[in-house]
Amino acid sequence: MTPLENPSLRMRAARIIAHPATALAGIAAFTAGTIALALTADGYLVFVLALFALNVVVGVGLNVLLGLAGQISFGHVGFFAIGAYTTAIAVQNGLDYWLAFLLAGAISALAGGLLAMPALRVTGPYLAMMTIAFAFIVEHAAIELRHITGGHNGLMGFPAPEFMGRAFFVPELAILSSLLAGASLVAYFQLARGRWGMAMRAVADSEVAAQSVGLNPFAIKTVAFMVSACLTGLAGALFTPLQGFISPGTFPFFQSILFLLAVIVGGTGRLFGPVIGCLIVVLLPELLSGLAEYRLLIFGGIMLGVLLLAPKGIVGGLLSLLSAEEPRPARATGRDPRDLVRADGAAPAGLTVSGLGIAFGGVQAVRDVGFTAAPSQVTSVIGPNGAGKTTVLNMISGFYKPDNGSIALGDDLAGHAAWRMARAGIARTYQTTQLFDHLSVRDNVLTAMGAGRLGWLPGVPPGAAQVALAEDLLAFVGYTGPVARRAGDLPHVDKRLVEIARALATRPDVLLLDEPAAGLMSGDKIALGRLIRRIADVGLSVILVEHDMSMIMEISDKVIVLDAGAEIMTGTPTEVQTSDAVRRAYLGSGNYVGRPRATSPGHAARAEVLSTRHLTAGYGAAAALDRVDVTVKGGEMVAILGANGAGKSTLMRALSGLHRPVSGAILLEAKPVQEMDAHRIAAAGLALVPEGRQVFPMMSVRDNILMGGYLRRDLDAEAEIDTLLHRFPRLRDRIDAPAGVLSGGEQQMLAIARGLIARPHILLLDEPSLGLAPAIITELYDVLADLRDEGVTILLVDQMAALALAIADRGYVLENGRVVQAGEADELRRDASIEQAYLGGGVAAE
Amino acid sequence: MKTVADLTCLTRRCFAVVAIAALTASALPAAAQETVKIGLIASLSGPSAKSGEAITRGLMLAIDEINQAGGLLGMPVELIRRDDENNPGKGLTAARELVQREGVAVLFGGLQTPVSLALVPYMNQSQVPFMGPWAAGTPITKNGADPNYIFRVSAVDEMVDIALVERAVAVHGAKNPGMMLINNPWGESNEKGLTAALEAKGMPTAGIERIEANDIDVVPQLTRLKEAGADTIFMVANVGPSAQVMKSLERMGWDVPVVSHWGPAGGRFSELAGPRAADVEMIQTFTFSGNDSPKAAATLDALMAMFPEITGPADVTPAVGIANAYDAMHLTALAITNAGSLDGPAIREGYYAIDTYEGLIKTYQTPFTPDDQDALGPEDYVFTRFIDGEIIPIE
Amino acid sequence: MIASTLISGLALGSMYGLMALGFHVTYAVSKTVNFSQGSSMMFGAVMGYTFSVTLGWPLIFAVIAALACCAVLGLAVERFLVRPFARRGSDAWLMATVAGGIVLDNVILFTFGKEPRSFSSPLAENAVDVFGVGAYPLQLIIPVVGLGIALGLALVTAHTRLGKAMLAAVQRPETARLMGVDTQAVIAAAFAISAVFAGIAGLLIAPLFSVSAGMGVVFGLKAFAAAIIGGIQSAWGVMLAGLIYGCVEAVTTAYIGSSYTQIVSFSAVILVLVTMPNGIFGRAEINKV
Repeated sequence: MTPLENPSLRMRAARIIAHPATALAGIAAFTAGTIALALTADGYLVFVLALFALNVVVGVGLNVLLGLAGQISFGHVGFFAIGAYTTAIAVQNGLDYWLAFLLAGAISALAGGLLAMPALRVTGPYLAMMTIAFAFIVEHAAIELRHITGGHNGLMGFPAPEFMGRAFFVPELAILSSLLAGASLVAYFQLARGRWGMAMRAVADSEVAAQSVGLNPFAIKTVAFMVSACLTGLAGALFTPLQGFISPGTFPFFQSILFLLAVIVGGTGRLFGPVIGCLIVVLLPELLSGLAEYRLLIFGGIMLGVLLLAPKGIVGGLLSLLSAEEPRPARATGRDPRDLVRADGAAPAGLTVSGLGIAFGGVQAVRDVGFTAAPSQVTSVIGPNGAGKTTVLNMISGFYKPDNGSIALGDDLAGHAAWRMARAGIARTYQTTQLFDHLSVRDNVLTAMGAGRLGWLPGVPPGAAQVALAEDLLAFVGYTGPVARRAGDLPHVDKRLVEIARALATRPDVLLLDEPAAGLMSGDKIALGRLIRRIADVGLSVILVEHDMSMIMEISDKVIVLDAGAEIMTGTPTEVQTSDAVRRAYLGSGNYVGRPRATSPGHAARAEVLSTRHLTAGYGAAAALDRVDVTVKGGEMVAILGANGAGKSTLMRALSGLHRPVSGAILLEAKPVQEMDAHRIAAAGLALVPEGRQVFPMMSVRDNILMGGYLRRDLDAEAEIDTLLHRFPRLRDRIDAPAGVLSGGEQQMLAIARGLIARPHILLLDEPSLGLAPAIITELYDVLADLRDEGVTILLVDQMAALALAIADRGYVLENGRVVQAGEADELRRDASIEQAYLGGGVAAE
Repeated sequence: MKTVADLTCLTRRCFAVVAIAALTASALPAAAQETVKIGLIASLSGPSAKSGEAITRGLMLAIDEINQAGGLLGMPVELIRRDDENNPGKGLTAARELVQREGVAVLFGGLQTPVSLALVPYMNQSQVPFMGPWAAGTPITKNGADPNYIFRVSAVDEMVDIALVERAVAVHGAKNPGMMLINNPWGESNEKGLTAALEAKGMPTAGIERIEANDIDVVPQLTRLKEAGADTIFMVANVGPSAQVMKSLERMGWDVPVVSHWGPAGGRFSELAGPRAADVEMIQTFTFSGNDSPKAAATLDALMAMFPEITGPADVTPAVGIANAYDAMHLTALAITNAGSLDGPAIREGYYAIDTYEGLIKTYQTPFTPDDQDALGPEDYVFTRFIDGEIIPIE
Repeated sequence: MIASTLISGLALGSMYGLMALGFHVTYAVSKTVNFSQGSSMMFGAVMGYTFSVTLGWPLIFAVIAALACCAVLGLAVERFLVRPFARRGSDAWLMATVAGGIVLDNVILFTFGKEPRSFSSPLAENAVDVFGVGAYPLQLIIPVVGLGIALGLALVTAHTRLGKAMLAAVQRPETARLMGVDTQAVIAAAFAISAVFAGIAGLLIAPLFSVSAGMGVVFGLKAFAAAIIGGIQSAWGVMLAGLIYGCVEAVTTAYIGSSYTQIVSFSAVILVLVTMPNGIFGRAEINKV
């Protein structure tokens, strides 16, 4: 066993690495080493050493931006030039060098702030372009402002800086550069482990989540830009006396790419990444001076090699060889939960929402919703898919600005930005968990403390009291894993818990939970339900959006039912469960009389078209499908039933190849397809009409249909489209209209037509009735019944169980990713347990 | 905390090893001075690479001859080259390396005026003679330093500019000439020179237009000159932009005389500039074509022997680079011999002590004095045309 | 003056537009671009020169072969510099394509040679008179070719199988896979098309300029600026922005002076992005919580 494989040695090494003293000792060794070299080496080497140290300073500055805040800049040579020119012009006008040095840092920081304002409104390639433009503007401004910059000829002949009567020439400047490099490393170290650094990394990971813990992403990114520009400008200020000559040609745009190269090759976001990167970028060419012409070729090659082979850079790559995770779980001090969540013990205010409404593109998503979430109560918001539940949460938490209505928590907060909402005391979690994936579990919680107020730069690391509080919170929510684990590596259930702990760390008055139970196993759901109850008992107003009815019924004090954006009922769990209106909203209109088959198709004798064996699939660590066995025979219509989050959509995605990888087997016409990608499964004869129709909005209706026949060589386009239009007469008038302008019902018809023209062996339909008006649903289901009668093999998923069972031959019931029941449609229709799956355990008990 | 404090023992050791290796390798002084080192800093890559190559060839030829004759001060002469990438900062860094680490006796270089100007203060400060075989910017040698370590065997802008104006007036009867100048310090230097030369003659200028190295189309600038009634154009630009000027003139169908600095000599001007290439009257200090001096013929033969890829006068473009560097190297050898040591100030004095040298360009008589550190003057300029890739003197 | 400025501006602008169209094609299907589009342009010109001048092939074959080389380059860029990163959700493709461009530029520098060469064309030898201004036929042809290719792209996407697959992949990538479209292949094809567009730009500009290893860098950056200004999601937007960018440059050169061209045009880029963060013709991408 090599030392690297020995877990205890690895652990010990990792502990040494992680210890702050190691980093500080490393910085001290680096600084002392470069200074020692500067004192002993010959003239030219000292000069190179000084250049190296200045590059390290720039690299550290860029690392703040790229490694912490996750923003790219191709414009750093501009800040370097601004620092250099500021110094040169200032000293030539008689300013003391040291004042000029500080001025250079200040002006560069200012330039960074000014660039950040517009630059941070854009991302990705737009941000890259903005910084490129900045670099060019600086270069050309230096040329054209010739009366102060000397134009192309640049500036030269600067008096040597003096300190205590000693003139600073190259050796002194090299020592000073080394000190500046050391200082910048210390600053980075302090920044990175302090609240600001955490906030920057949080913003880089998820701006959405950052806002919901009170962080203002715009301000944080602007500060990152300014810090980065300031360090780069200070390096420029030392470059001026070191080089003794500056001109626009000294700061070519390409230098920005070399700065980036140093950071990326060394290891983005690693303390010593820029040091290693600059060793390569600055010192390698000195070693290879005979190969000067090939310098760029070699750099390009190194950069590609590192990007492909060591995505974390050299330092990151080496560290991952030695990394080991501290296995310690959270330590609880056993404090009263009230002390964890409530700071001052003041009675929290309740949240009152009234008249809330919002429209998207003319569609009224939510209208006139109002309720009060009282302290110490769980107020649940339920409703079928598309009812507007999450939209309501998004308005309360500030991600959407409501068109009308008020959100009162003491003051009216309606329309405030998300981070202000969080600071005002409204915390939330998300349907898909939004943790800061690259931060540890504990840092995720620590980041949320103080609700976004970060204090002065470079900031202090969280104190022992805060760490203890974070661990208490983690213990409180029931997280038992290691506190040092990277949040992105957590299993699904732990992500949910940590997200709740993080929300609580902001010390909120109101906690919004968006489908916290989705994707959890039943045991975890029960624990989660208890946790939510305990949170309410501490005195918070909890607002819960959830599909798991048994949980809702068990822990809610009040239930608000939304349908199609409007409130249809408010009451106690029992009242809601017994309401016909609610039942209809969930199970579909009971008055739809589906057309059962006229004659038995005799499908028992037919061959299997599609079947699964122990199909298992998951998102991250959680299994969304657990050993599912489903079979569809030729000419059959089979329905998959189950509540939201039961795994129905995952099953459809797995069958059609959109969800990969899966384990177990999927057989299509007896051929295994579980490893095939979606386009090949389509070619093998499976067509999925996806949830939400997914028509191609900018294509005409005709082109949408033709797209469905993409793989068919024998397509008689006109005739077949005409046949389909007979089946879907609503589409005939709109055949040349872009599909995006069609109504929901028309889009659904189109999506089915698009599936049919492929002449599939089996047609999969995912939630075809979702969000459609009852009349349209009837029309749609009549078409499906026709198709069934014509012998099309269909696998149907619909939340409206009654509808689906009205026309299906057989059905499967999914719960928590497992098949809990299977049988003939008639049997299932009469089975009360179906209702239980939808509306919670209470129903069957009554 | 793991992510922030990430210096590992391993990394640190690696760092130390790499650093020590790097620094020892670079710190090792070149073994005791057994050769006379001559440095060259020039553009060895990029669009001006051809000129850098010409200077290299001239130097190598001269050094070869010197070494054949027994070297200098009993030691062989060695050439050390560095690429400046046409970046003054890079050039200055390279100069530090060659002076401080390699300990060159004399530094040649600076193809472009900006690079040379950046080197001037440093060379004067380190007291190592600097020899310019190409860049023509006036302030390079006239830099106001005393003592001045900067010498040149090349054209000088202010004198070239006087010659360009004389030619425009004498041959083309120019009354209202316009300027097309590259937008860099070389252009700036000539703007001053041309303006002064025109003022001396009491002539106006139709306009001063600038071109960028990457301009594809300079019709807008030329149109402005045309509308201002320019009757002759002074062109100061490197080969690429000069070619774009000629193409744009061709396109405009404007048949105006073009009197040019020597920029076009730096590359394949005939090929790049198209049909109008031969119309340019270009100043040179030397050509092989049409040169009947025996020294020129002998040098051409020697070049063809040394570089097999050279098969005739057309392959030795730009000849000025070769000739200037060749003569400058021989003059430097004389200066070192006069100095009797490799000490910078002594070599500087050695340059002043040169009496007569029969060079390729001309026979030099006391080429350098503290008042005039330029070995070539207006009397050495010839006007030429680029014909089928060859630079031919105008009869 | 105005006529000549416009002729220059439109010719340059359609080059920018053509290359910007290349950025658009790949961004639309994959949200990635080849940041070294300038190198693809250079590659087209260098290959064209090599086949036509060095090897002496007939021009038409040389052009086809050069564009084929560009297509292969585009496929290689996608396969080795974009896909490995896009697959793991990293945006390191940006730096990888920059690095790839540096490598290609330098390999060409050492194989093709350091000197610019002239790639003459009969279309750029004898000027014709247009509104009293001399212009090479090529200069007049370039905008026509540029707009023709943009039109061609529109027709191809509207009427061919590949085009429809691309449109589908742009609008709903996942659904396109359900229809049997191999979206990975579509993305690869988009990179090939993108490189071919750049190659065409390189071949068209070469006779007016010269061929050298470094010729594409500035062009690539300006084309990217045009793509961003136009709103990289919109095909006609980037083409128009390219034309506008070229005209702004020409007008600045003609009326203010060429030394201000880059300051003016790059300031315009920032100004546009400040006022319209998604470009002039772009639409906001909606972020869902």
